[in-house]
Amino acid sequence: MTPDVGPREAALRVTNLHKAFGSLDVLRGISLAAHEHDVIAIMGASGSGKSTLLRCINLLDVPDAGEVHVRGELIHMSFDRRGQRTPANPHQVDRIRTRLGMVFQRFNLWSHMTVLQNIVEAPIRVLGVPRRRAIEQADHLLRKVGLYDKRDDFPAHLSGGQEQRAAIARALAMEPEVLLLDEPTSALDPELVGEVLKVIDDLAAEGRTMLIVTHEIGFARAVSSRTVFLHQGMVKEHGPSRQILDEPRSERFRRFLSGGNWGRPALTTPSQTGESETP
Amino acid sequence: MTLDLHGYGWMLWRGLGLTILVGLGAMGLAVTFGLIGAWGKLSRYRVARWLADTYTTVIRGVPELILILLVYYGVPTLIQDLAASAGRDLRVDLNPFVAGIATIGLIYGAFATEVFRGAFQAVPRGQIEAARAFGMGRVLMLRRVVLPQMWRFALPGLGNVWMVLIKATALISVIQLEELMRSADIAARATRLPFTFFFAASLFYLGITIASMLIQRRIESWSYRGAPRGQS
Repeated sequence: MTPDVGPREAALRVTNLHKAFGSLDVLRGISLAAHEHDVIAIMGASGSGKSTLLRCINLLDVPDAGEVHVRGELIHMSFDRRGQRTPANPHQVDRIRTRLGMVFQRFNLWSHMTVLQNIVEAPIRVLGVPRRRAIEQADHLLRKVGLYDKRDDFPAHLSGGQEQRAAIARALAMEPEVLLLDEPTSALDPELVGEVLKVIDDLAAEGRTMLIVTHEIGFARAVSSRTVFLHQGMVKEHGPSRQILDEPRSERFRRFLSGGNWGRPALTTPSQTGESETP
Repeated sequence: MTLDLHGYGWMLWRGLGLTILVGLGAMGLAVTFGLIGAWGKLSRYRVARWLADTYTTVIRGVPELILILLVYYGVPTLIQDLAASAGRDLRVDLNPFVAGIATIGLIYGAFATEVFRGAFQAVPRGQIEAARAFGMGRVLMLRRVVLPQMWRFALPGLGNVWMVLIKATALISVIQLEELMRSADIAARATRLPFTFFFAASLFYLGITIASMLIQRRIESWSYRGAPRGQS
């Protein structure tokens, strides 16, 4: 374990992360650290590797190289018989994942369970929280995200905004140290984006540590403490959100912020970077 | 006009009971083989994939009747011959009831394999990823997220397998098991009223299949609670 020079261990630290899908290099050496209460916005064009970065942090995609530390604990990697890099200990990965809440672009609620069941499932089955306590906590979270009256509904009967709020409650129920949000509003109708951003804003105000992949520039400016701009799998620019969003240094980031990015075909095939990149 | 069964009605009812018993037993076996087969087909291991592919290819490619005769008459003979060549005297007799269930189960297990394979693949990838992202291990994920949804996708196909399976049990009349078809045959020969008895038997089969459809509909509507409408 690497000794930490700072006053306290970073909640999350990734070092020199690389990931390729076939011949497509999606991540080309990304390092970043999130300290407690940090809210980091990750921006970038389609195919820049934003979603893959999040997915490599909780090992949904296995990085080809690089290290992930969660509060100082390194996720150990090894190689399988075919030379593929793979987690050395699946149990460690499962345990670490319980400490990293994940919110997906397409919600990914379990469709055969009600909202309440979705929220209590992992706390009960994975963390071993007693059912009664899990339900109490779920009800508390449901009130917080404004979905208490929908607790017994199935996901299919909710709007996208409600589904995403339920998914956020599901992630919070694990009491994660870091929340990873992968384009939480990109799959929503425009009029539903606000209600989800409001919930995330509240979480930031509570001091939650979060990594948010987002296209919402205004939201990033208002909510995140730092912004990281990815371009072609590398950190092109990073710094305090207000500063770099208002005065981007690189031409590429300036173009991205001014909307030159929109409506243009992606530079790389988005299908290869996972479903969360598809528009 | 009522159907006069000339005192052979009890025989048909008993045959019906046996048919249902064989059908349920074979279906249980078919579901088991189907789950194992689907696991094999979707396995990371090449040997498992190859075995499962061979199973479905061979079984689905050979007429049921031949397989039934092969198992009931062929397998005991084969074992006896093998024992004889090893200098041992062995007599093997298969119980037709057991042989019937085993053969029908084996055959329809191949069809169930394809049903389950499709059903497993129909479970949305994102929900599996969510299970992984929440720290669920493979077994927990299978039990809590994959299987419950897999059944939903498998039910229509399994209903279909059951309908064909229950009718295929008529084939095992050739191995002397007095199920519905064989009972009707015996009664028809004894009374020389083939139309009456085969017609009666066909009504019995129709009764089973109609009842099955009604039950299937209830199970499906129960399992579809919460499912997105229109698609799945």
